Amino acid sequence: MPKKRVLLVDDNTGVRSLLRQLFESEPDFEVSGEAENGRDAVEKAENLKPDVIILDLSMPIMTGLDAAPLLRRLLPDTRIILFTVQEGREVEQLARAAGIHAVVSKNQAASKLILQAQTLLASMEQEHHPTKLRSAS
Amino acid sequence: MTDHDTSASQNIKYPHWQREFEAALLEDDPQKLRQLVDAAEAAIFLRSQALVESPEGHAEQQSISDAIRTLRAIQREKLGYPDWNKK
Repeated sequence: MPKKRVLLVDDNTGVRSLLRQLFESEPDFEVSGEAENGRDAVEKAENLKPDVIILDLSMPIMTGLDAAPLLRRLLPDTRIILFTVQEGREVEQLARAAGIHAVVSKNQAASKLILQAQTLLASMEQEHHPTKLRSAS
Repeated sequence: MTDHDTSASQNIKYPHWQREFEAALLEDDPQKLRQLVDAAEAAIFLRSQALVESPEGHAEQQSISDAIRTLRAIQREKLGYPDWNKK
């Protein structure tokens, strides 16, 4: 089974590096690219066509919330996870309105990010190939 | 200088991230400030990961929340980050 491609979007190189290590330690993911703000993400996503985008909220030039609708339009099948230190219902609502599939807090264990990505991809697989999964189970 | 450093380090309650955070608070040069804010954020992120496993980290987690709010304000007001929560 091909590895799922991940685009990491965060203005902080240290955080991107930690996320890269995290995803590359998983057998089913590969990091296909990194972007340092929302605009950079939109430009790179078009070429990289990732399966999952890990998107920071607060970034220079373009925030994650502003980038998300553009990314959804560009890549409707790509799953977007907002990975942020900001927590609460307001962020959840804004994220949902922007077309983001899930919000994971940076204060939670980073392994939850992997779990969330796997869950979203599995549900997408089920939407696209319902019979394949049914016969496998 | 040494005395100052010693007394400053005695006030550091959370050594995993507080030095980086306080360095960012004191910086005026925008280029250096961006680097220091990034360093503080990365240190806080790492520390938060460790605190997930710790039952005694509540007070530090509260200090981290306050520090994050301050870093966000610095990013908006001094580094020109767009406001994600514009109404």
